[in-house]
Amino acid sequence: MNLKINQIKKIYGEKTVLSIQQENLVFRNGQINGIIGPNGSGKSTLMRIIADLTTATSGTIFYDNSPLDDDLRKLLTYASQQAFMLSKTVEENIRYPLKLRNYSKVDQQRIAAEQLETFQLEAIRTQKAKNLSGGEAQKTALARALSFSPKLLLLDEPTASIDPQSIKIIESALLKRKVDPSLNTIIITHNLSQAFRICDTLTFIHQGNILFTGLPDDLMHDPNPIIKEFISFN
Amino acid sequence: MDYILEGFVEAIQLILSFDPEIYQIVSLSLFVSFTSTAVSTLIGVPAGIFLGIHQFRGKKWVSRLLYTFMSFPPVIIGLFTALLLSRSGPFGQYKLMYTSTAMIIAQTLLVTPIITGVIFNYTSGNGQIIVETGKTLGAKGFSLLLLIVTELRATIMIALVTGFGRAISEVGAVMIVGGNIKGYTRVMTTFIAMNNNMGEYSLSIAMGLILMTISFITNSILYKFVIGDLDELKN
Ligand SMILES: Nc1ncnc2c1ncn2[C@@H]1O[C@H](COP(=O)(O)OP(=O)(O)OP(=O)(O)O)[C@@H](O)[C@H]1O
Ligand SMILES: [Mg+2]
Repeated sequence: MNLKINQIKKIYGEKTVLSIQQENLVFRNGQINGIIGPNGSGKSTLMRIIADLTTATSGTIFYDNSPLDDDLRKLLTYASQQAFMLSKTVEENIRYPLKLRNYSKVDQQRIAAEQLETFQLEAIRTQKAKNLSGGEAQKTALARALSFSPKLLLLDEPTASIDPQSIKIIESALLKRKVDPSLNTIIITHNLSQAFRICDTLTFIHQGNILFTGLPDDLMHDPNPIIKEFISFN
Repeated sequence: MDYILEGFVEAIQLILSFDPEIYQIVSLSLFVSFTSTAVSTLIGVPAGIFLGIHQFRGKKWVSRLLYTFMSFPPVIIGLFTALLLSRSGPFGQYKLMYTSTAMIIAQTLLVTPIITGVIFNYTSGNGQIIVETGKTLGAKGFSLLLLIVTELRATIMIALVTGFGRAISEVGAVMIVGGNIKGYTRVMTTFIAMNNNMGEYSLSIAMGLILMTISFITNSILYKFVIGDLDELKN
Protein backbone atom coordinates (compact mmCIF):
# COMPACT_ATOMS: atom_id res chain seq x y z
CA MET A 1 0.00 0.00 0.00
CA ASN A 2 1.18 3.48 -0.72
CA LEU A 3 1.65 6.39 1.60
CA LYS A 4 0.43 9.72 0.33
CA ILE A 5 1.39 12.99 1.96
CA ASN A 6 -0.88 15.92 1.29
CA GLN A 7 0.25 19.48 2.14
CA ILE A 8 1.50 18.68 5.62
CA LYS A 9 2.42 21.71 7.66
CA LYS A 10 3.88 21.93 11.14
CA ILE A 11 4.28 25.11 13.12
CA TYR A 12 5.98 25.25 16.52
CA GLY A 13 5.02 28.51 18.16
CA GLU A 14 5.89 31.03 15.48
CA LYS A 15 8.26 28.83 13.56
CA THR A 16 7.16 26.86 10.52
CA VAL A 17 9.35 23.77 10.54
CA LEU A 18 7.54 21.83 7.86
CA SER A 19 5.57 23.14 4.94
CA ILE A 20 5.00 20.58 2.23
CA GLN A 21 3.40 22.23 -0.78
CA GLN A 22 2.85 18.99 -2.71
CA GLU A 23 -0.68 17.63 -2.69
CA ASN A 24 0.40 14.23 -3.66
CA LEU A 25 3.76 13.19 -2.38
CA VAL A 26 3.76 9.40 -2.68
CA PHE A 27 6.01 6.88 -1.00
CA ARG A 28 5.45 3.60 -2.80
CA ASN A 29 5.30 0.10 -1.45
CA GLY A 30 7.91 -2.45 -2.30
CA GLN A 31 10.49 0.31 -2.29
CA ILE A 32 12.99 1.85 0.03
CA ASN A 33 12.30 5.56 0.05
CA GLY A 34 15.07 7.79 1.29
CA ILE A 35 14.69 11.20 2.89
CA ILE A 36 17.73 13.44 2.97
CA GLY A 37 18.44 17.03 3.90
CA PRO A 38 20.41 19.20 6.30
CA ASN A 39 20.05 19.21 10.09
CA GLY A 40 16.85 20.81 11.28
CA SER A 41 15.19 20.66 7.87
CA GLY A 42 12.15 18.79 9.21
CA LYS A 43 12.89 15.16 8.33
CA SER A 44 12.22 13.74 11.78
CA THR A 45 9.21 15.99 12.18
CA LEU A 46 7.67 14.50 9.05
CA MET A 47 8.27 10.96 10.30
CA ARG A 48 6.91 11.76 13.73
CA ILE A 49 3.76 13.13 12.15
CA ILE A 50 3.31 9.97 10.10
CA ALA A 51 3.80 7.88 13.27
CA ASP A 52 1.35 10.09 15.19
CA LEU A 53 3.92 11.16 17.77
CA THR A 54 3.37 14.76 16.73
CA THR A 55 0.20 16.21 15.25
CA ALA A 56 0.42 18.20 12.04
CA THR A 57 -0.82 21.76 12.12
CA SER A 58 -2.61 21.05 8.87
CA GLY A 59 -2.66 18.58 6.00
CA THR A 60 -3.53 14.92 5.66
CA ILE A 61 -1.82 11.59 5.18
CA PHE A 62 -3.38 8.74 3.24
CA TYR A 63 -2.44 5.13 3.37
CA ASP A 64 -3.82 3.58 0.22
CA ASN A 65 -6.51 6.19 -0.24
CA SER A 66 -7.81 6.00 3.36
CA PRO A 67 -6.76 8.60 5.89
CA LEU A 68 -4.06 7.15 8.13
CA ASP A 69 -5.93 6.34 11.36
CA ASP A 70 -5.18 4.37 14.51
CA ASP A 71 -6.17 1.09 12.92
CA LEU A 72 -3.82 1.55 10.00
CA ARG A 73 -1.10 2.84 12.30
CA LYS A 74 -1.00 -0.61 13.92
CA LEU A 75 0.81 -1.67 10.74
CA LEU A 76 3.58 0.87 11.06
CA THR A 77 6.54 1.37 13.30
CA TYR A 78 9.00 4.18 13.82
CA ALA A 79 12.55 3.58 14.95
CA SER A 80 13.66 6.87 16.41
CA GLN A 81 16.99 8.61 16.02
CA GLN A 82 17.53 7.93 19.75
CA ALA A 83 16.86 4.27 20.37
CA PHE A 84 15.11 3.83 23.70
CA MET A 85 15.58 0.44 25.31
CA LEU A 86 12.96 -0.94 27.68
CA SER A 87 14.33 -2.14 31.00
CA LYS A 88 14.30 -5.74 29.88
CA THR A 89 16.83 -8.00 28.21
CA VAL A 90 17.75 -7.63 24.55
CA GLU A 91 15.60 -10.62 23.62
CA GLU A 92 12.63 -9.38 25.65
CA ASN A 93 12.89 -6.02 23.91
CA ILE A 94 12.67 -7.76 20.55
CA ARG A 95 9.74 -9.89 21.70
CA TYR A 96 7.79 -6.99 23.19
CA PRO A 97 5.87 -5.99 20.01
CA LEU A 98 5.03 -9.66 19.46
CA LYS A 99 3.75 -10.02 23.00
CA LEU A 100 1.53 -6.99 22.48
CA ARG A 101 0.09 -8.63 19.39
CA ASN A 102 -0.59 -11.89 21.21
CA TYR A 103 1.84 -14.04 19.24
CA SER A 104 2.22 -17.49 20.76
CA LYS A 105 5.28 -18.17 22.91
CA VAL A 106 6.66 -20.47 20.24
CA ASP A 107 6.33 -17.84 17.51
CA GLN A 108 7.83 -15.18 19.75
CA GLN A 109 10.81 -17.39 20.39
CA ARG A 110 11.26 -18.31 16.75
CA ILE A 111 11.01 -14.74 15.45
CA ALA A 112 13.27 -13.39 18.18
CA ALA A 113 15.86 -16.02 17.32
CA GLU A 114 15.71 -15.03 13.66
CA GLN A 115 16.09 -11.36 14.48
CA LEU A 116 18.97 -11.99 16.88
CA GLU A 117 20.71 -13.92 14.16
CA THR A 118 20.06 -11.39 11.40
CA PHE A 119 21.46 -8.52 13.43
CA GLN A 120 24.18 -10.63 15.06
CA LEU A 121 22.96 -9.95 18.56
CA GLU A 122 23.02 -13.53 19.84
CA ALA A 123 26.00 -12.89 22.09
CA ILE A 124 24.12 -10.22 24.02
CA ARG A 125 20.71 -11.90 23.95
CA THR A 126 20.30 -12.03 27.76
CA GLN A 127 22.02 -8.75 28.52
CA LYS A 128 20.03 -5.91 30.04
CA ALA A 129 19.24 -3.62 27.14
CA LYS A 130 19.82 -0.48 29.19
CA ASN A 131 23.50 -1.34 29.41
CA LEU A 132 24.05 -1.65 25.66
CA SER A 133 26.41 0.53 23.70
CA GLY A 134 24.89 3.07 21.34
CA GLY A 135 25.32 0.92 18.26
CA GLU A 136 24.10 -2.25 19.97
CA ALA A 137 21.02 -0.39 21.15
CA GLN A 138 20.35 0.88 17.66
CA LYS A 139 20.61 -2.63 16.22
CA THR A 140 18.34 -3.98 18.94
CA ALA A 141 15.84 -1.21 18.24
CA LEU A 142 15.86 -2.18 14.58
CA ALA A 143 15.44 -5.87 15.33
CA ARG A 144 12.56 -4.93 17.65
CA ALA A 145 10.90 -2.68 15.08
CA LEU A 146 11.11 -5.33 12.38
CA SER A 147 10.00 -8.21 14.59
CA PHE A 148 6.28 -7.96 13.91
CA SER A 149 6.75 -7.44 10.15
CA PRO A 150 5.29 -3.95 9.90
CA LYS A 151 3.93 -2.83 6.57
CA LEU A 152 5.26 0.68 6.93
CA LEU A 153 8.74 1.00 8.34
CA LEU A 154 9.91 4.45 9.38
CA LEU A 155 13.62 4.54 10.13
CA ASP A 156 15.21 7.70 11.44
CA GLU A 157 18.97 7.51 10.81
CA PRO A 158 19.13 3.80 11.69
CA THR A 159 22.85 3.51 11.02
CA ALA A 160 24.04 6.78 12.52
CA SER A 161 26.24 5.26 15.23
CA ILE A 162 26.93 1.90 13.62
CA ASP A 163 30.22 0.42 12.53
CA PRO A 164 30.79 -0.25 8.80
CA GLN A 165 30.41 -4.01 9.08
CA SER A 166 27.12 -3.70 10.96
CA ILE A 167 25.91 -1.12 8.45
CA LYS A 168 26.34 -3.79 5.79
CA ILE A 169 24.30 -6.23 7.87
CA ILE A 170 21.51 -3.71 8.36
CA GLU A 171 21.44 -2.67 4.73
CA SER A 172 21.21 -6.20 3.50
CA ALA A 173 18.49 -6.96 6.06
CA LEU A 174 16.49 -4.04 4.67
CA LEU A 175 17.09 -5.07 1.09
CA LYS A 176 16.05 -8.63 1.89
CA ARG A 177 12.75 -7.38 3.31
CA LYS A 178 12.03 -5.68 0.01
CA VAL A 179 10.84 -8.99 -1.45
CA ASP A 180 7.59 -8.22 0.35
CA PRO A 181 5.84 -5.99 -2.20
CA SER A 182 3.48 -4.62 0.43
CA LEU A 183 6.26 -3.34 2.66
CA ASN A 184 6.94 0.36 2.51
CA THR A 185 10.27 1.47 3.95
CA ILE A 186 11.09 5.11 4.52
CA ILE A 187 14.56 5.91 5.76
CA ILE A 188 16.19 9.14 6.82
CA THR A 189 19.92 9.18 6.29
CA HIS A 190 22.80 11.62 6.21
CA ASN A 191 24.89 9.11 4.37
CA LEU A 192 24.43 9.88 0.69
CA SER A 193 26.33 6.86 -0.54
CA GLN A 194 24.10 4.70 1.64
CA ALA A 195 21.09 6.43 0.10
CA PHE A 196 22.38 5.52 -3.34
CA ARG A 197 23.15 1.96 -2.31
CA ILE A 198 19.73 1.06 -0.97
CA CYS A 199 17.11 3.66 -1.89
CA ASP A 200 14.79 3.40 -4.86
CA THR A 201 13.63 7.00 -4.47
CA LEU A 202 15.01 10.03 -2.72
CA THR A 203 13.25 13.04 -1.27
CA PHE A 204 15.21 16.13 -0.41
CA ILE A 205 13.91 18.41 2.35
CA HIS A 206 15.28 21.86 2.95
CA GLN A 207 13.87 24.26 5.57
CA GLY A 208 10.63 22.34 5.67
CA ASN A 209 10.12 22.35 1.93
CA ILE A 210 10.48 19.45 -0.43
CA LEU A 211 12.82 20.52 -3.19
CA PHE A 212 13.12 17.18 -4.90
CA THR A 213 11.49 13.81 -5.01
CA GLY A 214 12.32 11.15 -7.54
CA LEU A 215 14.98 8.72 -8.66
CA PRO A 216 18.43 8.99 -7.05
CA ASP A 217 20.09 9.50 -10.43
CA ASP A 218 17.86 12.44 -11.21
CA LEU A 219 18.79 14.06 -7.91
CA MET A 220 22.40 14.14 -9.06
CA HIS A 221 21.45 16.14 -12.11
CA ASP A 222 18.95 18.46 -10.47
CA PRO A 223 19.71 22.08 -11.36
CA ASN A 224 18.61 23.51 -7.98
CA PRO A 225 21.71 25.21 -6.50
CA ILE A 226 20.77 24.20 -2.93
CA ILE A 227 20.71 20.55 -3.94
CA LYS A 228 23.90 20.94 -5.98
CA GLU A 229 25.67 22.36 -2.97
CA PHE A 230 24.31 19.68 -0.64
CA ILE A 231 25.56 16.95 -2.94
CA SER A 232 28.94 18.54 -3.40
CA PHE A 233 29.61 18.21 0.33
CA ASN A 234 28.88 14.51 0.39
CA MET B 1 23.85 11.27 81.72
CA ASP B 2 22.99 8.01 83.44
CA TYR B 3 19.33 8.32 82.64
CA ILE B 4 20.06 7.96 78.95
CA LEU B 5 21.88 4.68 79.44
CA GLU B 6 19.24 3.51 81.90
CA GLY B 7 16.62 4.51 79.40
CA PHE B 8 18.21 2.31 76.75
CA VAL B 9 18.47 -0.69 79.06
CA GLU B 10 14.88 -0.33 80.19
CA ALA B 11 13.80 0.21 76.62
CA ILE B 12 15.32 -3.06 75.49
CA GLN B 13 13.78 -4.88 78.44
CA LEU B 14 10.45 -3.38 77.49
CA ILE B 15 10.69 -4.47 73.88
CA LEU B 16 11.64 -7.99 74.92
CA SER B 17 8.82 -8.15 77.44
CA PHE B 18 6.33 -8.08 74.57
CA ASP B 19 4.11 -5.59 76.35
CA PRO B 20 0.77 -5.90 74.53
CA GLU B 21 0.14 -2.16 74.66
CA ILE B 22 3.35 -1.41 72.83
CA TYR B 23 2.62 -3.94 70.13
CA GLN B 24 -0.91 -2.66 69.76
CA ILE B 25 0.45 0.84 69.23
CA VAL B 26 3.00 -0.37 66.70
CA SER B 27 0.45 -2.33 64.73
CA LEU B 28 -1.99 0.59 64.67
CA SER B 29 0.81 2.85 63.40
CA LEU B 30 1.69 0.39 60.68
CA PHE B 31 -1.95 -0.10 59.74
CA VAL B 32 -2.67 3.65 59.50
CA SER B 33 0.47 4.48 57.55
CA PHE B 34 0.27 1.47 55.22
CA THR B 35 -3.35 2.22 54.43
CA SER B 36 -2.74 5.89 53.77
CA THR B 37 0.31 5.09 51.63
CA ALA B 38 -1.72 2.53 49.67
CA VAL B 39 -4.55 4.98 49.02
CA SER B 40 -2.02 7.68 48.11
CA THR B 41 -0.37 5.28 45.68
CA LEU B 42 -3.64 4.56 43.92
CA ILE B 43 -4.19 8.29 43.48
CA GLY B 44 -0.65 9.59 43.21
CA VAL B 45 0.90 7.15 40.73
CA PRO B 46 -1.69 7.61 37.95
CA ALA B 47 -1.94 11.34 38.68
CA GLY B 48 1.83 11.78 38.60
CA ILE B 49 2.13 9.83 35.35
CA PHE B 50 -0.75 11.70 33.74
CA LEU B 51 0.52 15.15 34.71
CA GLY B 52 4.09 14.22 33.87
CA ILE B 53 3.64 12.91 30.35
CA HIS B 54 1.14 15.47 29.12
CA GLN B 55 2.09 18.89 27.91
CA PHE B 56 -0.48 21.48 28.89
CA ARG B 57 -0.84 25.11 29.79
CA GLY B 58 -0.08 25.81 33.41
CA LYS B 59 2.13 22.75 33.87
CA LYS B 60 4.67 24.97 35.62
CA TRP B 61 2.00 26.01 38.08
CA VAL B 62 1.01 22.44 38.73
CA SER B 63 4.57 21.55 39.59
CA ARG B 64 4.97 24.59 41.83
CA LEU B 65 1.76 23.70 43.62
CA LEU B 66 2.82 20.07 43.99
CA TYR B 67 6.17 20.98 45.47
CA THR B 68 4.48 23.35 47.90
CA PHE B 69 2.09 20.61 49.02
CA MET B 70 4.98 18.17 49.32
CA SER B 71 6.59 20.32 51.96
CA PHE B 72 3.44 21.20 53.90
CA PRO B 73 3.91 20.75 57.65
CA PRO B 74 1.88 17.81 59.00
CA VAL B 75 0.32 20.07 61.66
CA ILE B 76 -1.24 22.20 58.95
CA ILE B 77 -2.59 19.10 57.21
CA GLY B 78 -3.91 17.91 60.56
CA LEU B 79 -5.57 21.24 61.19
CA PHE B 80 -7.11 21.25 57.73
CA THR B 81 -8.42 17.69 58.14
CA ALA B 82 -9.79 18.56 61.56
CA LEU B 83 -11.68 21.51 60.11
CA LEU B 84 -13.26 19.20 57.55
CA LEU B 85 -14.11 16.43 60.00
CA SER B 86 -15.04 18.31 63.16
CA ARG B 87 -18.64 18.20 64.21
CA SER B 88 -19.56 21.53 62.64
CA GLY B 89 -17.39 20.91 59.54
CA PRO B 90 -18.63 19.80 56.12
CA PHE B 91 -18.08 16.10 56.91
CA GLY B 92 -19.03 16.37 60.58
CA GLN B 93 -22.03 14.09 60.19
CA TYR B 94 -19.77 11.06 59.71
CA LYS B 95 -18.30 11.50 63.23
CA LEU B 96 -14.77 10.66 62.09
CA MET B 97 -12.83 12.99 64.35
CA TYR B 98 -10.54 11.11 66.78
CA THR B 99 -10.74 7.82 64.89
CA SER B 100 -8.11 5.88 63.02
CA THR B 101 -10.03 6.72 59.84
CA ALA B 102 -9.37 10.40 60.49
CA MET B 103 -5.68 9.64 60.86
CA ILE B 104 -5.69 7.74 57.59
CA ILE B 105 -7.41 10.63 55.84
CA ALA B 106 -4.93 13.15 57.21
CA GLN B 107 -1.92 11.03 56.27
CA THR B 108 -3.36 10.40 52.83
CA LEU B 109 -3.57 14.16 52.31
CA LEU B 110 0.01 14.40 53.49
CA VAL B 111 1.43 11.57 51.39
CA THR B 112 -0.48 11.87 48.11
CA PRO B 113 1.35 15.04 46.99
CA ILE B 114 4.67 13.40 47.83
CA ILE B 115 4.01 10.33 45.72
CA THR B 116 2.45 12.41 42.94
CA GLY B 117 5.38 14.82 43.05
CA VAL B 118 8.11 12.18 42.86
CA ILE B 119 6.41 10.42 39.93
CA PHE B 120 5.59 13.72 38.22
CA ASN B 121 9.14 14.93 38.53
CA TYR B 122 10.54 11.79 36.92
CA THR B 123 7.97 11.37 34.16
CA SER B 124 8.20 15.04 33.16
CA GLY B 125 11.72 14.31 32.03
CA ASN B 126 11.62 10.67 30.99
CA GLY B 127 7.98 9.75 30.52
CA GLN B 128 7.57 11.04 26.98
CA ILE B 129 10.19 8.74 25.46
CA ILE B 130 8.63 5.72 27.17
CA VAL B 131 5.20 6.64 25.81
CA GLU B 132 6.58 7.22 22.32
CA THR B 133 8.50 3.96 22.27
CA GLY B 134 5.45 2.08 23.48
CA LYS B 135 3.23 3.70 20.89
CA THR B 136 5.55 2.96 17.98
CA LEU B 137 5.71 -0.68 19.03
CA GLY B 138 1.94 -1.00 19.24
CA ALA B 139 1.07 -0.35 22.88
CA LYS B 140 -1.96 1.73 23.69
CA GLY B 141 -4.55 2.18 26.40
CA PHE B 142 -4.01 -0.36 29.16
CA SER B 143 -0.92 -1.97 27.63
CA LEU B 144 0.68 1.47 27.40
CA LEU B 145 -0.10 2.23 31.04
CA LEU B 146 1.28 -1.15 32.03
CA LEU B 147 4.48 -0.43 30.13
CA ILE B 148 4.87 2.95 31.82
CA VAL B 149 4.36 1.46 35.28
CA THR B 150 6.86 -1.33 34.56
CA GLU B 151 9.44 1.11 33.27
CA LEU B 152 8.89 3.36 36.28
CA ARG B 153 9.02 0.62 38.89
CA ALA B 154 12.13 1.91 40.64
CA THR B 155 10.76 5.44 40.81
CA ILE B 156 7.42 4.16 42.08
CA MET B 157 9.20 2.21 44.82
CA ILE B 158 11.17 5.29 45.82
CA ALA B 159 7.95 7.31 45.93
CA LEU B 160 6.24 4.69 48.08
CA VAL B 161 9.04 4.39 50.58
CA THR B 162 9.43 8.16 50.80
CA GLY B 163 5.70 8.55 51.34
CA PHE B 164 5.52 5.77 53.91
CA GLY B 165 8.53 7.17 55.75
CA ARG B 166 6.85 10.53 55.97
CA ALA B 167 3.57 9.01 57.17
CA ILE B 168 4.99 6.74 59.85
CA SER B 169 7.24 9.45 61.29
CA GLU B 170 4.89 12.43 61.38
CA VAL B 171 3.33 13.42 64.66
CA GLY B 172 1.48 16.69 64.01
CA ALA B 173 -1.39 15.40 61.90
CA VAL B 174 -2.19 12.23 63.85
CA MET B 175 -2.00 14.16 67.10
CA ILE B 176 -4.59 16.70 65.96
CA VAL B 177 -7.09 14.42 64.25
CA GLY B 178 -6.43 11.26 66.32
CA GLY B 179 -6.00 12.81 69.73
CA ASN B 180 -3.59 10.15 71.07
CA ILE B 181 -6.40 8.21 72.77
CA LYS B 182 -5.04 5.20 74.66
CA GLY B 183 -5.91 1.91 73.01
CA TYR B 184 -7.71 3.66 70.21
CA THR B 185 -5.75 6.29 68.29
CA ARG B 186 -2.40 6.18 70.01
CA VAL B 187 0.43 5.62 67.52
CA MET B 188 4.19 5.44 67.88
CA THR B 189 4.96 9.09 67.36
CA THR B 190 2.23 10.44 69.64
CA PHE B 191 3.27 7.86 72.22
CA ILE B 192 6.85 9.12 72.11
CA ALA B 193 5.83 12.75 72.34
CA MET B 194 3.53 12.07 75.29
CA ASN B 195 5.99 10.00 77.29
CA ASN B 196 8.71 12.48 76.66
CA ASN B 197 6.51 15.20 78.11
CA MET B 198 5.88 13.07 81.16
CA GLY B 199 9.56 12.36 81.69
CA GLU B 200 9.17 8.65 80.86
CA TYR B 201 12.31 8.54 78.79
CA SER B 202 12.74 4.79 78.67
CA LEU B 203 9.34 4.37 77.09
CA SER B 204 10.14 7.06 74.54
CA ILE B 205 13.46 5.48 73.76
CA ALA B 206 11.93 2.03 73.42
CA MET B 207 9.37 3.27 70.93
CA GLY B 208 12.01 5.37 69.21
CA LEU B 209 14.11 2.26 68.70
CA ILE B 210 11.17 0.40 67.21
CA LEU B 211 10.39 3.31 64.89
CA MET B 212 13.98 3.47 63.74
CA THR B 213 14.02 -0.28 63.13
CA ILE B 214 10.94 0.02 60.97
CA SER B 215 12.51 2.85 58.96
CA PHE B 216 15.62 0.80 58.59
CA ILE B 217 13.69 -2.20 57.32
CA THR B 218 11.65 -0.22 54.79
CA ASN B 219 14.77 1.49 53.51
CA SER B 220 16.60 -1.81 53.26
CA ILE B 221 13.77 -3.17 51.19
CA LEU B 222 14.08 -0.13 48.95
CA TYR B 223 17.78 -0.71 48.51
CA LYS B 224 17.42 -4.42 47.92
CA PHE B 225 14.75 -4.13 45.29
CA VAL B 226 15.49 -0.79 43.75
CA ILE B 227 18.99 0.48 44.02
CA GLY B 228 20.27 -2.85 42.68
CA ASP B 229 17.89 -2.50 39.77
CA LEU B 230 18.23 1.14 38.91
CA ASP B 231 17.88 0.56 35.18
CA GLU B 232 15.41 3.29 34.53
CA LEU B 233 17.47 5.88 36.33
CA LYS B 234 20.26 5.36 33.84
CA ASN B 235 18.44 7.12 31.04
N1 LIG C 1 9.07 20.08 20.05
C1 LIG C 1 9.62 21.06 19.33
N2 LIG C 1 9.43 22.35 19.68
C2 LIG C 1 9.96 23.34 18.94
N3 LIG C 1 10.71 23.17 17.83
C3 LIG C 1 10.93 21.91 17.46
C4 LIG C 1 10.40 20.79 18.16
N4 LIG C 1 10.79 19.66 17.54
C5 LIG C 1 11.53 20.05 16.50
N5 LIG C 1 11.61 21.40 16.43
C6 LIG C 1 12.33 22.17 15.42
O1 LIG C 1 11.91 21.74 14.16
C7 LIG C 1 12.99 21.79 13.23
C8 LIG C 1 13.07 20.48 12.49
O2 LIG C 1 13.47 19.48 13.37
P1 LIG C 1 13.67 17.97 12.92
O3 LIG C 1 13.99 17.17 14.12
O4 LIG C 1 12.50 17.56 12.10
O5 LIG C 1 14.95 18.10 11.98
P2 LIG C 1 15.72 16.96 11.20
O6 LIG C 1 15.61 17.28 9.76
O7 LIG C 1 15.30 15.63 11.64
O8 LIG C 1 17.22 17.26 11.66
P3 LIG C 1 18.43 16.25 12.01
O9 LIG C 1 19.09 15.93 10.71
O10 LIG C 1 19.33 17.08 12.85
O11 LIG C 1 17.88 15.07 12.71
C9 LIG C 1 14.23 22.12 14.03
O12 LIG C 1 14.56 23.46 13.80
C10 LIG C 1 13.82 21.92 15.47
O13 LIG C 1 14.45 22.85 16.28
MG1 LIG D 1 16.17 14.12 12.76
